[in-house]
Amino acid sequence: MDDTILRVRDLTMAFGDRVLVEGLDFGIRRGEIYVVMGGSGCGKSTLLRHLLGLQEPAVGEVLYGEESFTRAGPADRERMLRRCGVLYQGSALWTSMTLAENVALPIQQFTDLPPERIREVVELKLALVGLHGFESFHPWELSGGMQKRAGLARAIALDPEILFIDEPSASLDPPTGRRLDRLILELRDALGTTVVVVTHDVASILGIGTRALFLDAESRKALAEGPPAELRDHGPGKVRAFFAGGLSP
Amino acid sequence: MSRGGAPPDVPAAMELSREGEATLVARLTGSWRLAGALPEAALLERELDQAPAAAARIDAAGVAGWDTGLVVFVWSALESLRARGVPVTRDGFPPALERMLALVQETAHPPQPPAPARGLLVRTGRLALRARERAWDLASFVGETTQALWRFLTRRARFRGQDLGLLLDGAGPGALPIVALVNFLVGIILAFVGITQLRRFGAEYYVADIVGIAVARDMAALITAVVLAGRSGAAYAAQLATMKVTQEIDALRTLGISPTEFLVVPRLVALTLMMPFLTLFADLMGILGGAAVGTTMMNQALAAYLRQTAQSVTSGDVVGGLAKSAVYGALIALTGTARGLEAERSSERVGEAATRAVVSGVVAIIAACGIFQYVFFLFGW
Repeated sequence: MDDTILRVRDLTMAFGDRVLVEGLDFGIRRGEIYVVMGGSGCGKSTLLRHLLGLQEPAVGEVLYGEESFTRAGPADRERMLRRCGVLYQGSALWTSMTLAENVALPIQQFTDLPPERIREVVELKLALVGLHGFESFHPWELSGGMQKRAGLARAIALDPEILFIDEPSASLDPPTGRRLDRLILELRDALGTTVVVVTHDVASILGIGTRALFLDAESRKALAEGPPAELRDHGPGKVRAFFAGGLSP
Repeated sequence: MSRGGAPPDVPAAMELSREGEATLVARLTGSWRLAGALPEAALLERELDQAPAAAARIDAAGVAGWDTGLVVFVWSALESLRARGVPVTRDGFPPALERMLALVQETAHPPQPPAPARGLLVRTGRLALRARERAWDLASFVGETTQALWRFLTRRARFRGQDLGLLLDGAGPGALPIVALVNFLVGIILAFVGITQLRRFGAEYYVADIVGIAVARDMAALITAVVLAGRSGAAYAAQLATMKVTQEIDALRTLGISPTEFLVVPRLVALTLMMPFLTLFADLMGILGGAAVGTTMMNQALAAYLRQTAQSVTSGDVVGGLAKSAVYGALIALTGTARGLEAERSSERVGEAATRAVVSGVVAIIAACGIFQYVFFLFGW
């Protein structure tokens, strides 16, 4: 049985006439942590935007399972996105709401659960990321790491099948970044969620990635795909240089 | 999250029984998904209220499918049993559920919630403290602005010249169309009211005097200021509050640049300088609005109407109006920037800052207008 949950087929990403990356072809398997990596400007975050339908491909398509996301209409896209959760680079918490309200909003909008049950679910999700007791706090009252964890709680509010994470360790100190990595691993193990991570943080890639895709800004192609440790030791020269810190992120 | 394969049709259920006298057993069966009806953990508590138990066992071997619904139930049940001091054993828990429970229990460390405010005395005290804090903030803002303005006048302030240019353009030329329209309409209204009332005494000929003096002394400055409070004051508050949310103001401070010098003073200067020019233009538009009514309703020639206006309006009226307008401009800039800088770091507060800027700007303008009337009256101006 094919366990590919997300597939990218012959994808070309472009801004107008400027091609960013072309000929992308890969599949993400259920339950793995798939890392999209590369130097600055290689198109990592743009690829994430394509996977989420925030940007349209110049050529090619994105498929959720066997269903084309790119060719789907708005209603089908919404249905497919309902299976996804996203943790944005800057957390993107709604600053006018408390943490509980942030996590509750998607549950209120997309389920028929009564308020008491929603409150219990919200408490559980915040507890899962170590923020039990912070329900009434506003995002600006929290540290960067706590905001990231709260963003993660919101991202898993609807029990997503696929969790997209953009630069999880960005703007975090290394220990906090590693703690967040561990949390992502634990959540994946506990929830069985497929995780797609976009990052240039080598420690994070090696720490949590099941497989990784290396995007190269110069050749505008995916240079390599495979388990991170294998890419580090036996990948193309540019990829090994990236792991060795020879390529500026 | 979806566990246990395809969702079976068997609804979630909890069967309570006893193993001997001492142990309460809760057997969970069926599909424990949020979308379906789920038993409540409170059932366990009710059972223990009726017949206490020395221990409890939760058996999840019969669970056919589950998601967050089961985790929420088990977590609540474990918490309530722990609170009663009843030891719990877990049977047949799926490994993923065990991992989730471990995660929840490992990371939960709630902070002490702040003590709720109680009693009239406490609330009054808090209000007084908040009022003192606000008064202190206002005094600090005025002090810092005065200091920054002095640095600006002595050419020591840090700000970007092009920002000031853009602000002058936005506050002045950018506001001309709306200022023209509103003041022309106010001129029309004044003339209508004037003619209607003066006609009772056969003195409608003096409408040019009334419109001209009212516009030049007060109305043009006042109306223009109200327009600018809604236009520039709100924009300043929203800009600065947004900069606070995005930590741009923190960035200025840490660079050693005073936000008051960099952000407040240019806005203060721009509006204070532009308001007299706008008001002069507003004078003209208001008088033209009055003339439009005067010439059509009284069949008076435009030249005669304007000549009569020129004879009645003194240069003192015009200069007084312009001086007031400069003060109004300063007040709008100060209230707008103060509201922006005092906003908290939240998108909701940005909107609130803009609203409060308009309200406090208009109140400040009206209050200043009243003070001007009294002072001008005292000195016979």
